[in-house]
Amino acid sequence: MDSNPIPVTVLTGFLGAGKTTLLNRILTEKHGRKLAVIENEFGEVGVDNQLVIQSDEELFEMNNGCICCSVRGDLIRILGRLLKRKDRLDGILIETTGLANPAPVAQTFFTDDEMRRNFRLDGIVTVVDAKHVATHLDSNDESVKQLAFADVILLNKTDLATPAELDSLQARIRGINAVASVFRTRDCDVPLDRVLDIGGFNLGRATEIDPKFMEPEYPFEWAGAYDLPAGAHDLVIGHSEAEHDHDDPEDHDHGDAHPHHHHGNENELDLAVMSVPSLSEADLEAARDAAVSVFSDWEKRTNPGEEVAPGATLYRLLLDGGYGGFKLMIPKAGHYVVFEGCGEDPLHIRVGPDNVKPAWQSDYHPAHEHNEGVTSVGIQHAGDLDGGRLNNWISNLLRTKGNDIYRMKGVLSVKGAPKRMVFQGIHMLFDAKFDREWGAEPRVNTLVFIGKNLDRAALNDAFKSCLVQ
Amino acid sequence: MQLTKHWAGPLDDYAIDLAWAPDGTRLAAASAAGPISVFASSDGSGRVDLPGHEGGSNTLAWQPGTSVLASGGQDGSVKLWDGAAGQHSATVALGRAWVEHLEWRPPGTGAPLLAAAAGRKFTFLGADGSVRHAFKDAPKTITALAWHPQGGCAAVAYFGGVCLWDADDGVAQKEYAYGNGIHALAWSPDARWLVSGNQDPSVHLWMPESDVELQMSGYETKVRHLSFDSTSHWLATSGSQDACVWDCSGQGPEGREPAMLPHDAPVCGLQFQRAHGLLATAAQDGSVVLWSPERKQPLRATVRMPSAATKLTWSPDDRLLAIGTEKGMVYVLRCEP
Repeated sequence: MDSNPIPVTVLTGFLGAGKTTLLNRILTEKHGRKLAVIENEFGEVGVDNQLVIQSDEELFEMNNGCICCSVRGDLIRILGRLLKRKDRLDGILIETTGLANPAPVAQTFFTDDEMRRNFRLDGIVTVVDAKHVATHLDSNDESVKQLAFADVILLNKTDLATPAELDSLQARIRGINAVASVFRTRDCDVPLDRVLDIGGFNLGRATEIDPKFMEPEYPFEWAGAYDLPAGAHDLVIGHSEAEHDHDDPEDHDHGDAHPHHHHGNENELDLAVMSVPSLSEADLEAARDAAVSVFSDWEKRTNPGEEVAPGATLYRLLLDGGYGGFKLMIPKAGHYVVFEGCGEDPLHIRVGPDNVKPAWQSDYHPAHEHNEGVTSVGIQHAGDLDGGRLNNWISNLLRTKGNDIYRMKGVLSVKGAPKRMVFQGIHMLFDAKFDREWGAEPRVNTLVFIGKNLDRAALNDAFKSCLVQ
Repeated sequence: MQLTKHWAGPLDDYAIDLAWAPDGTRLAAASAAGPISVFASSDGSGRVDLPGHEGGSNTLAWQPGTSVLASGGQDGSVKLWDGAAGQHSATVALGRAWVEHLEWRPPGTGAPLLAAAAGRKFTFLGADGSVRHAFKDAPKTITALAWHPQGGCAAVAYFGGVCLWDADDGVAQKEYAYGNGIHALAWSPDARWLVSGNQDPSVHLWMPESDVELQMSGYETKVRHLSFDSTSHWLATSGSQDACVWDCSGQGPEGREPAMLPHDAPVCGLQFQRAHGLLATAAQDGSVVLWSPERKQPLRATVRMPSAATKLTWSPDDRLLAIGTEKGMVYVLRCEP
């Protein structure tokens, strides 16, 4: 009869990223466990007495050839054969080819009840080569998908990239997949308990998600607090040609470090300035919330040389080649927070000849729009959901947008249910079950969507319409 | 009626296949790990252990009217053994893919031919192991095969359909499209019906003489097991906690209520007697039950094995039922009135 499902770990990543290194490490360090390896290329695994089975990437198009409903027929067959043992395996590792789309592999585990009963997709681990992944991301959809599907991402071969390159890569990876754990490694030297038995596919604990990713969406991307004396100061956006030599790295000046991904018109920048009594968290939050309503107001078009003042006015600064100088009118000395609609525009405040450095600054996750087209949308909201409406929404969503939704996971609070509803989906396939009692834990819904062309606002609205009023 | 234990023998791993010698004197059992054991059917004695296949054995088939035992394994080969002497006689390498399905042409229907499926490759072998016909690759991995009862063709199933390959000239007699995975194939003994057990989950019936097709759905899980009774009247199918038995007489099962023979766990094997009317069914809780599906009170006998059955097979004289289990035991039970 059935015992516990066998955990399955899928290793993806481009050729040369270090998948085999990781695989060999797992097999060596976990040699006490009965593991089977399913791999595409023979002979790469160098550990004796391991069960290694070759697969041939046979796709079964389940639904009239719909590619996003495909499963891997070879894996169904091999996994079925691996069950035919007197002693159950402790785990299975599937190494995919560098070019493989991870969706059919993951979907295989949803094929039927027998698969669900016998196997548990524990996690998808994507190994990327820090030196070359940027090129792959630019040229290859599969590598973007491998990141989008991952529960764990190893940014490997860090010795071949500079810290700045790694930071920029990590930001880019976060933009695609905000919920995966990212580790920077050389030779895949990550503790194996971060890779195996992670329960990644179940989103067992909502708190594992990067809390920043779970913040609500803001209409601005960056804010900085400055201590300013009274007077008319220079507010400079961008760089004039002459200034390029003496950038102070502590300025809000992230425009030059990587390609400028501007949203909308690059010669317009929305900006508001709020006065705050102190830099305490409460005061900053109050200013942030006030800025949200200012940003929803009509903008005041402002030409270079014109005045900008603290208060409930949204200024649309008109730039020339991304550059413009304005007058910042400060009525009395104090703390002021500047909110920028686009976080990519360098912003400098000069009091006399000196640049003033921000005493505090924050990014408001600018991940909602970028060149990969693959993003994450997170929703976190307290309250109970109406089971019927939730079901209608999710089934309709999967039917109409399933092609674009790569992964979806969440923990939900359904009215009348004492237990948490935990769900996961890949494209149009979906699995939900109640796991454990909420107990003393607050009943907060957490959902994550990873995919392309995701409409954050529409997802949020639809979610809210499922809440019990 | 009762089922009594006749004898039992252990294998080194999961019992992946069982096969009675055509004269009923021996029972061959393959372990998933590789070795193949041949027992005397009278009392389980005189056990001969054959090395089988490296990486694991998958399937067994005795050649009708002889003591030649064919086996297929994960090493991509078909091996022929003298099952009486316990000696290896030939190895046929078919490639890298697992050899998962072997079936000899039915007795008395022509020269002996062994149909062998390995991955997408389908091959006819002669009694000496020579390749008689190598077919063009199937579109997907072959998942089931079944000889026509008159031996004129072999039906081969894969994800997407079934092809009937002619035994004499190797041409495709017919191709039936089916838009999903197929796990089992069976012909009715009178050859009126060709039936597939499917992933979707359903059972599909073709009537090759008239191009009639029927689709029977409503199963809980994929249908892996199919068995016709000797009169071609009853078709037993797995796919839920009940063995579902369809009346295939006349126009077939469409519009008829099937008999549902209940177990307490999903059915994992079923087999009608070869010439008589008893149906043996097994479930994942280890139970094995005998039924007479045509009776008002169909239940005839029940036994419980220590672990779930992987394979059920009746001896040629229908007196003994051999059962292989997940824990690697072979049980031979006697069916007593």
